[in-house]
Amino acid sequence: MRSSHRLAFLFLLPSLIFVGLFALYPIFESFRLSFYRLILTLPWLGQKMVGWENYVDLWTDPVAAESLRTTLFFVVTTIPLELGLGLAMALVMNEAFRGRGLLRAIVLIPWAIPTVVSSQMWRFVFNDRYGLFNFVLFGGDASRYLAPLADPTLAPMAIIVAEVWKTAPFVALIILAGLQTIPDELYEAAGIDGATAWQKFRHVTLPLLRPALLLALLFRTIDALRVFDLVFVMTQGGPADATNVLSFYGYKKIFAEGMVGYGSAIAVGVFLVSLILSLAYLRVLKASRLERTPR
Amino acid sequence: MWDQPIADFEKQNPGVKIIREIGPQSSTQLHDLITQKLKNRDTEMDLFVMDVIWPAEFASAGWAFPLDRFFSLAEQKQFLDAPIQANRYRGQVFGVPLFIDAGLLYYRKDLLEKYRMSPPRTWPELVEEAKTILTREKDPQLVGFSGQFKQYEGLICNMMEYILSNGGNLWDDKRMVSTLNQPNAVEAVRFVRDRIIGQIAHRGVLAYEEPESLVLFTEGKAVFHRNWPYAWNVANDPQRSKIAGKIGMIPLPSFPGGKGVAALGGWQLAISRFSKKSELAWRFVAFMTSHTMQKRITLSTGRAPTRVALYNDREVLDQLPQLESLWETFKQAVPRPTTPVYVPLSNIMQRYFSSVLALPDTDIDNRAALAARDMNRVLDLLREAPAR
Repeated sequence: MRSSHRLAFLFLLPSLIFVGLFALYPIFESFRLSFYRLILTLPWLGQKMVGWENYVDLWTDPVAAESLRTTLFFVVTTIPLELGLGLAMALVMNEAFRGRGLLRAIVLIPWAIPTVVSSQMWRFVFNDRYGLFNFVLFGGDASRYLAPLADPTLAPMAIIVAEVWKTAPFVALIILAGLQTIPDELYEAAGIDGATAWQKFRHVTLPLLRPALLLALLFRTIDALRVFDLVFVMTQGGPADATNVLSFYGYKKIFAEGMVGYGSAIAVGVFLVSLILSLAYLRVLKASRLERTPR
Repeated sequence: MWDQPIADFEKQNPGVKIIREIGPQSSTQLHDLITQKLKNRDTEMDLFVMDVIWPAEFASAGWAFPLDRFFSLAEQKQFLDAPIQANRYRGQVFGVPLFIDAGLLYYRKDLLEKYRMSPPRTWPELVEEAKTILTREKDPQLVGFSGQFKQYEGLICNMMEYILSNGGNLWDDKRMVSTLNQPNAVEAVRFVRDRIIGQIAHRGVLAYEEPESLVLFTEGKAVFHRNWPYAWNVANDPQRSKIAGKIGMIPLPSFPGGKGVAALGGWQLAISRFSKKSELAWRFVAFMTSHTMQKRITLSTGRAPTRVALYNDREVLDQLPQLESLWETFKQAVPRPTTPVYVPLSNIMQRYFSSVLALPDTDIDNRAALAARDMNRVLDLLREAPAR
């Protein structure tokens, strides 16, 4: 018994080292640094322990509060859109028809393109003079052209569109996997009972899809909370801080301004928000798994 | 512009191979990239280019190598003074100026002549002329003015030109307090918001850096344009511009009673403190900034040189006659104040400028006071005594 435990531990060791080095250590280090005042461009001030000061500052920082609102707005707008679109795409891809393999491959393209590249593409789409966006809306009538990336209300929308375009296929993929685990007999049985297509969807598909949907929700929430590259390429946080999401704000503090302590406090803040949400989801996910286990 | 000089240098110094890494066009993003390498004490990077606002930060952080041993005072006198001062920090020099930049006003000579106007000397004049031309031209795509108003470093350059030409300032370098909330500064910002953005300039400029704003001008869709000296050659190149030969270039206007102010820009060559080949790196810096190379680069790229002697060089002036008129602007160009906490100050100012320009209903006085308070908090760090 003991030796088999030891063997198991041995097999686990590489993963433990990997997780420890690349996940736990950086998190721990960020936590530690967040209790210091450390400004890289002013080395003579040294590294001073300041207790909770960075967190007190963060709590009262109006830019951080605005940034949190921007980030949460991004999360609550992108996720329903991604789940809705992803579900629709998955339902289509799940049907048997000619060219289904090709369609499945095509749908994944936005997800496969590196975000930096697709953000650049969306930046062109939303260009105020030559962008496709204005051309589609207004044709050649240049006097009505909008400048989405220059407008504090439209700029976040532009980022949202780019994000949904990119990640809906990923959600579709998870949901498609979920759909394929639903046995055909259930639909047959429902058909015999006289269920309509809508009733089948509502009472067979959706309940059985719950774990897949929750999984997609979990992944997307954590990812959306950390959104960075779209903002970095498309707007750099502007105009008027309208797209200054938390990760970008923290990045600017640490990497541009050299304010390592305060920036780390922001990073820890993002981490805690993600952690709390993930734990909440996991509880729900677990509960839904239990529901399905036969008694 | 780099390939040929590098090849020449390698030929002169057998066994030396220079690897050039290409960075992003935006100064803000390049800053992040280079400081990342310096924070990691990267010994691979021997030398780098430095924007005119970086030397104090890089010197204070201990990232840039002091060059006094190589770069004598007599040699420093051969360069324009403003960029040399920008490269000095606490009595030492940390970079050698490679190019100099200063804000300039470009205008459509053909349009101004058509309506019998003379180039504007004040900002209100510029607005009036632009409005008249827009009304009479009736071209829905034409705008009166294009500049750089995105939330990034260029916004500081553009806005300081308005503020300083109204007798205001960004902060007081002696007393170390922000002056953004002073009446002159606030008045200039209000002018830009109420008379320029959404008026003679379309709101799209709030997302423009240099390239986008220049394209608007070279497409013939802007009457006035604020940019650096490089725009002259681009706008006069028939391959890249629809308005070649139809443009004029003058110093930037001022507010009535004030003096026009050009923000000083430009790039320096500096050596990394972590380089293991600083002697060799210096040889390359000296080579790139030598009289011969500066002349060659100036002639081939049209970018403004930093050596004084080239502004009297017949061959240079024959090919780039505009340098003669730029001389005065360069001599008077105003640097952004040098400080190791420039980036945090800049981010606060960018936030303030972008907010009041993009949101027309904001209370400028209130925002200016908040920005000044935040800036003072950062400036206070400089008063602190060193840790034991």
